Amino acid sequence: MAECHPVGFQWVMEAKERGATVIHVDPRFTRTSAMADLHVPIRAGTDIAFLGGIVRHIIENNRYFRDYVVQYTNAPVIVDEEFRDTEDLDGLFSGWDSEQGGYRVKSWQYRNAPVEGSAGDVEMVHEQGQGQAGEGQSSQPSFAEERDETLEDPRCIFQITRRHFSRYTPEMVEEICGIPKEMFLKVAEALCDNSGRERTSAFVYSVGWTQHSKGAQYIRTASIIQLLLGNIGRPGGGIMALRGHASIQGSTDIPTLYDLLPGYMSMPKAKHDQTFAKYLENNTGASGWWTELPKYITSTLKAWFGRAAGPGNDFCYGYLPRTSGDHSHMTTVADMADGNLTGYFVLGQNPSVGSVHGALQRKGLRELQWLVIRDFAPNETAEFWKDAPEIRRGEVRPEDIATEVFFFPAAAHTEKDGSFTNTQRLVQWHWKAVEPPGDCRSDLWFMYHLGLRLKALYADSLESRDLPIKNLTWEYPTEGEHQEPNADAVLAEIHGFTVEDGEPVSGYLDLKDDGSTACGCWLYSGIFKGGVNQAARRKPGSQQSWVAPEWAWAWPSNRRIMYNRASADPEGNPWSDRKKYVWWDAEQGKWTGEDVPDFIEDRPPSYRPKRGARGLDTISGIDPFIRQADGKGWIYVPSGLMDGPLPTHYEPQESVLENPLYGQQCNPARFEYERKDNPYHRAHDDPRFPYVITTYRLTEHHTAGGMSRWLSWLSELMPEMFCEVSPELAEERGLHNGEWATITTARAEIEARVLVTRRIRPLRMGKGGKRLVHQIGLPYHWGSKGLVTGDAANELVSMLADPNVSIQETKALTGTIAPGRRSRMRRVVTSGPLVEELPEGSGAPRDLPAVGARPRGKHGLEAPKEKEGEQA
Amino acid sequence: MTDPGANGDRRHIHPESGILSGGASEQRVQRPEPDAPTEPWTELPTANLDDPTYYDRPLLKEAVWISAVPVYFWAGGASGAAATLAAVAQIADRDGLDGLIKRARWVAAAGGAAGTALLIVDLGKPSRFANMLRVFRPSSPMSVGSWVLAGAAPLAAGSAVLHDAGALGGVADAAGLAIGVLGMPLAGYTSVLLSNTAVPLWQEVRRTLPALFLSSAVISAASVLQMFDLDERELDIVRRYGTAGKVADLVASQAVRRNASRIHQVGSPLHAGLSGALWKASEALIAASLALSMVPGNRGRGRRVVEGLLGTAGSLAMRFAVFHAGKASSRDPRATFRHQRGGHGGTEATGRAAVTGPEDLRAVATRDERTPGRTAVS
Amino acid sequence: MSAPTAQRGFFTDTTVCIGCKACEVACKEWNQLPDDGFVFTGMSYDNTATLGASTWRHVAFVERPVAFGNQVTADGQFSWLMMSDVCKHCQRAGCLENCPTGAIVRTEFDTVYVQPDICNGCGYCVVGCPFGVIDRREDDGRAWKCTLCYDRLKGDMEPACAKACPTDSIQFGDLLELRRRAEERVARLHERGLRDAYLYGVDEANQPGTEGLNAFFLLVDRPEVYNLPPDPVAPAKKAKEAWLSMAAAALGMAAAAVAAVLSGRGTGR
Ligand SMILES: Nc1nc2c(c(=O)[nH]1)N[C@H]1C(S)=C(S)[C@@H](COP(=O)(O)OP(=O)(O)OC[C@H]3O[C@@H](n4cnc5c(=O)[nH]c(N)nc54)[C@H](O)[C@@H]3O)O[C@H]1N2
Ligand SMILES: Nc1nc2c(c(=O)[nH]1)N[C@H]1C(S)=C(S)[C@@H](COP(=O)(O)OP(=O)(O)OC[C@H]3O[C@@H](n4cnc5c(=O)[nH]c(N)nc54)[C@H](O)[C@@H]3O)O[C@H]1N2
Ligand code: SF4
Ligand code: SF4
Ligand code: SF4
Ligand code: SF4
Ligand code: SF4
Ligand SMILES: [Mo]
Repeated sequence: MAECHPVGFQWVMEAKERGATVIHVDPRFTRTSAMADLHVPIRAGTDIAFLGGIVRHIIENNRYFRDYVVQYTNAPVIVDEEFRDTEDLDGLFSGWDSEQGGYRVKSWQYRNAPVEGSAGDVEMVHEQGQGQAGEGQSSQPSFAEERDETLEDPRCIFQITRRHFSRYTPEMVEEICGIPKEMFLKVAEALCDNSGRERTSAFVYSVGWTQHSKGAQYIRTASIIQLLLGNIGRPGGGIMALRGHASIQGSTDIPTLYDLLPGYMSMPKAKHDQTFAKYLENNTGASGWWTELPKYITSTLKAWFGRAAGPGNDFCYGYLPRTSGDHSHMTTVADMADGNLTGYFVLGQNPSVGSVHGALQRKGLRELQWLVIRDFAPNETAEFWKDAPEIRRGEVRPEDIATEVFFFPAAAHTEKDGSFTNTQRLVQWHWKAVEPPGDCRSDLWFMYHLGLRLKALYADSLESRDLPIKNLTWEYPTEGEHQEPNADAVLAEIHGFTVEDGEPVSGYLDLKDDGSTACGCWLYSGIFKGGVNQAARRKPGSQQSWVAPEWAWAWPSNRRIMYNRASADPEGNPWSDRKKYVWWDAEQGKWTGEDVPDFIEDRPPSYRPKRGARGLDTISGIDPFIRQADGKGWIYVPSGLMDGPLPTHYEPQESVLENPLYGQQCNPARFEYERKDNPYHRAHDDPRFPYVITTYRLTEHHTAGGMSRWLSWLSELMPEMFCEVSPELAEERGLHNGEWATITTARAEIEARVLVTRRIRPLRMGKGGKRLVHQIGLPYHWGSKGLVTGDAANELVSMLADPNVSIQETKALTGTIAPGRRSRMRRVVTSGPLVEELPEGSGAPRDLPAVGARPRGKHGLEAPKEKEGEQA
Repeated sequence: MTDPGANGDRRHIHPESGILSGGASEQRVQRPEPDAPTEPWTELPTANLDDPTYYDRPLLKEAVWISAVPVYFWAGGASGAAATLAAVAQIADRDGLDGLIKRARWVAAAGGAAGTALLIVDLGKPSRFANMLRVFRPSSPMSVGSWVLAGAAPLAAGSAVLHDAGALGGVADAAGLAIGVLGMPLAGYTSVLLSNTAVPLWQEVRRTLPALFLSSAVISAASVLQMFDLDERELDIVRRYGTAGKVADLVASQAVRRNASRIHQVGSPLHAGLSGALWKASEALIAASLALSMVPGNRGRGRRVVEGLLGTAGSLAMRFAVFHAGKASSRDPRATFRHQRGGHGGTEATGRAAVTGPEDLRAVATRDERTPGRTAVS
Repeated sequence: MSAPTAQRGFFTDTTVCIGCKACEVACKEWNQLPDDGFVFTGMSYDNTATLGASTWRHVAFVERPVAFGNQVTADGQFSWLMMSDVCKHCQRAGCLENCPTGAIVRTEFDTVYVQPDICNGCGYCVVGCPFGVIDRREDDGRAWKCTLCYDRLKGDMEPACAKACPTDSIQFGDLLELRRRAEERVARLHERGLRDAYLYGVDEANQPGTEGLNAFFLLVDRPEVYNLPPDPVAPAKKAKEAWLSMAAAALGMAAAAVAAVLSGRGTGR
């Protein structure tokens, strides 16, 4: 956190000053570790085992916050008899479809009460043709589940969880993660001691946890710990996802993601959501907050299609594009490489350096007809056709590449108005400081004027397929010489207004499903309350309460802590005076406190929904997690995840160890890209690749380097690509500090300067601590352009995706290292195999025989067989 | 390394987006000046707490002066010592020693002029020398010296030029007396200039270096004068002057070296490396010159020239030795550390101890008991 | 309560420095300093190595084979120290005292400031600084160092480096107030078991050789570890001895001249 979020880290330092214990779990000793009370080095890719060990510790030692667990989580709920745990099936859950690959979630359901996932992702299950759980659910509000509040029923979630983690002992943690037992116990005890009525603990994570083939389940494990300890919805608690680019949170909320509409509403699916009615049926919650979906989607459609949208034409629902499968980044690029795409927009991204398997990325770009790129300087992606390893090697010739590249210079954030949504959902406005130089224009300008040109182009069209463009509302006031659209106007539209008079609504509670309101994103409704840009508020903390509600604006409805109903006990009183935050004021008959209560304002703690209740009435007075279908924190996830209701330790796709817990080595639901140009190493103990590699960032650079390698003041701070190794590994491989090394995987070979450091320790693990595991650290900021250049770490990494969010496994892979500048810049995509291939089948399998087929070909488009993964 | 920046000055301020107005905007920049080492650190980057340094990086900045400066030391010394000799001769026997006085004045004048020129070479342009006389700052030996030089050089020139100017001879004589006085600081202030720095070697030898510099100045003046055609008496005077200088030089150089070497690391540049070699060469040359002058017999010009050249070379070598030794001393962080841990830093000047580390690691020149193996000074 | 003075300075608390180098960059950006070239040093995360004519803030990184206070690490005996170094704005400033041109002045904020329009590049300040801070830039010919953001102070703004520092490792303010805070901080750290914490150069008593630094530090290991001198001294404090020795030697030279002239008369004709 000190490395990548140094400004946010000041609060950690402040907490430390006030007596907080800071624990840092990281394979490397970083700037964060330097400030921590305790640094726990871990083998990359094994945190579920570590966190699972903590879950077990909490349960076995009765350290959980019983009242919270019983009332606010789904721990007491009884699960369907059909459910089988990984303990029973050697690493698989029940419901695996060995023919199509992937889980069917039916057996994971609550007994007699199937539920849907949260946050509009219910139909993710449908997508896989496994929607049994979701279908017809609307008739079955989920509060009907059976419960055992003694937590003793063997089929209640608490007991299932206990059994699931029963073998995650401190010894097992040591064996898998390389964390000494005493150190593990220190962490577990520190957490338990610092949780309960009087105290809370927080987790902070970022991509060290997400970039794994089971990334989403890492976070799930932390969620279980926090729910068991009662650390959610309370001040000082929570799980904070430190985000990446300045407004990456904003581009999740109003998404750049292919499968979501603004405010976490689902993108319509071609197969399932043919009509608006179907869409609403499939996506509206039966209980909880998502019962409001029709209001939100209708208002969004009204905002987009204005007068054209009405009840008579399903509010132009038909204009929305449909997803036909997986359109995630890696899948799209793989498809591109097979010649199935014609054009590509790269807006503020540098995939040739920043995305995995750079050579395959560039192969994709070579197959395009056109590429549009908007950035500050022509980066490695813009110049993939003339400056790349395969071109320097002569394997690809620029004259053979037909892709037409359009480069547009972009304005920087200092050169335009706009907003940043940060890690705590705080939307902060920023103002233009200087005019963008030359031809640089803001992205808003680009999109707006592109839209205008498209509208002009289709103005005379009589084709109905062009109606979405013709009917799109596209009226924003512009200003200045270059007709820059007014960003405030966009924000006002996002906030929403009453169609009749154009007056701003007061928040999402005002939204209607009859077309009388328009709102760009329901979740952000409130941000332009009273016609005032709330994100632009800058009242200093010293002039307001400690929660500082008047600094900028947070979604939803300016709440600073989500689910803060949980900061009070079931009766509505604070759990403790020390930790009081939001409570029930019986006299006034409403929730009140330091923050905006994240609850229905006047719903008394004693309220219980009646049978057959609908909509928001399904939320009981003790359901703090109002955006979950059952209002509870989910220790066990009956639906919504592709790889199991409980997190399970699987080894990374490429590992140094056989999974000590299960016969199933890897996440069975992981998404592999089986292509000749994307070879994987052996599942474990690959003699050619004996070391763990992890990749990461440095404070001095930013991601793929577009914002740092072109700037001398940053470049001089970290002028060259380097690798970090322990003195022990240096000794073993003959590496010397300051000299060069070559790092190789089956995908590529790169070179880097060597930084030998005691900040990296070899870890003892395996049975009886017999294995000494070395880890190699690689920052991934360099490429061939800019003021400082170097090899890109991502050339080494394979394409492989987590099944839930399609994230790549960049944090844990294997490889090897040798002294010297031996790299010949070979890339498997263009140079053929780099390493001697091992006999087919000589490595251990990643999957149990029972797995049979695994998910594949999620993308709607089929590659011509002869082109797939061909060697150039 | 590619594009040096939007305006080619490595600042990366696009002329369209910003103007140069910051605190360093006037800094003229053509090339990068890496302060970082050109070769990477090849050992394990873990501090050695038994003998801590920061990756052996210099603590101090090395003097930025070029070779013109030690030559200036030499020229200024020759000038001053010649001026003093001329003045003494003038007082003792203005007419009898006229030849000596005239030549000594010319040496003083030439030394002063050359010195000024050398300083300008080091500074880059003449106007910069003028800046030296903007203020008088007694705390700065360079300021004091600049004023001395500014006074002495024109006076010496005057005394030489007007030496044969008949009616103005009185003026010349007055000037001659004045430079006789100014010649003393002119010949010696450079030793104070060096001592009055943070460079441990130079600072350490502040009590002994003046004697060496002044002896050397005498050698320089005598060696040059020796090569002129003087009468027997004058030659004897010059030779005695020179011999005194050489003897004093050899004694002083021992004293300087012993002084510096009280702390091994401080004195080491006088023993080793380029500066050590120059130092030894200087001593040998002076000794040879002295020995030659002791050999009785023919005092012909040839021999005088050889003797003079040896003396000149010896005194020049000494200036360069001291100059380079100081640079080496600045480069060696341990020199400073040991100098100060050895009690020769602020404590010596003030009689009061500084806080030099965590409570139990403050010791100067003692072993720390709490953490065995961690030594305050080794 | 101490009366406010015009004395401004920095208290740099290295125990909260996270080595983010924001100070280094903010300084370059505000003052419009050039880069120093792109050199990989292999010295932990420090690639700028030292203060200089165009690096006025420099963050040092020390990988140390001993634990930091009560910190627990797998290694047991290891810690990583970071320290943001800067011109100390010494009470007795070697650079200023050595400067023959008067280019270096003490400002109304009690800081040490080089006036670039007056500096003639003589380089005497460079060797006068006991901390190796000020340096002359070769292609410019003048000496440069931290101005303590004189331009910002005049505008009543905090120096750029302190402003950018996320953890308040660099604290800017009234010197007396900073001293008070620093003493308190050390006491607190001692209480918490970080016995090694101490102040470096906080005042005259702490560092008689410089009579105290306006930019002083809280350190946890000996100064050498951070490339700081343990017992620095403003060179002028020792100048008297040098001048006296010179005077004696100069008299010696005059005596030699007298002797040479007079004894010549005795033996001559
Ligand atoms: N200075 C700077 N700041 C940035 C960025 C930048 O590039 N530079 N990028 C921004 C972006 S886009 C993002 S997403 C965030 C990312 O912020 P972070 O997630 O903090 O960034 P990383 O350095 O990629 O990864 C964090 C740490 O995870 C560790 N790690 C690797 N594998 C594992 C593992 O299996 N388990 C555990 N526990 N740790 C592991 C790495 O050693 C590394 O120290 O930072 C943002 N902030
Ligand atoms: N091995 C490995 N790979 C990784 C990661 C890892 O940890 N390890 N982390 C991953 C993560 S979390 C991320 S986020 C990605 C980042 O990877 P990328 O997003 O590909 O990399 P960036 O360099 O951040 O690209 C952003 C570009 O946007 C430009 N830009 C900045 N502002 C604007 C603007 O206002 N408009 C426009 N049009 N352009 C702008 C910048 O100049 C920059 O070139 O890398 C991923 N890849
Ligand atoms: S770069 Fe921006 S987002 Fe990142 S830590 Fe600094 S201030 Fe925060
Ligand atoms: S640290 Fe050096 S440059 Fe700064 S004021 Fe003191 S003597 Fe001058
Ligand atoms: S270089 Fe400039 S600032 Fe330094 S002493 Fe000389 S004149 Fe003064
Ligand atoms: S005070 Fe100003 S000039 Fe000095 S280091 Fe800080 S930012 Fe740079
Ligand atoms: S900005 Fe502050 S925390 Fe960051 S390196 Fe500088 S002093 Fe340390
Ligand atoms: Mo990211």
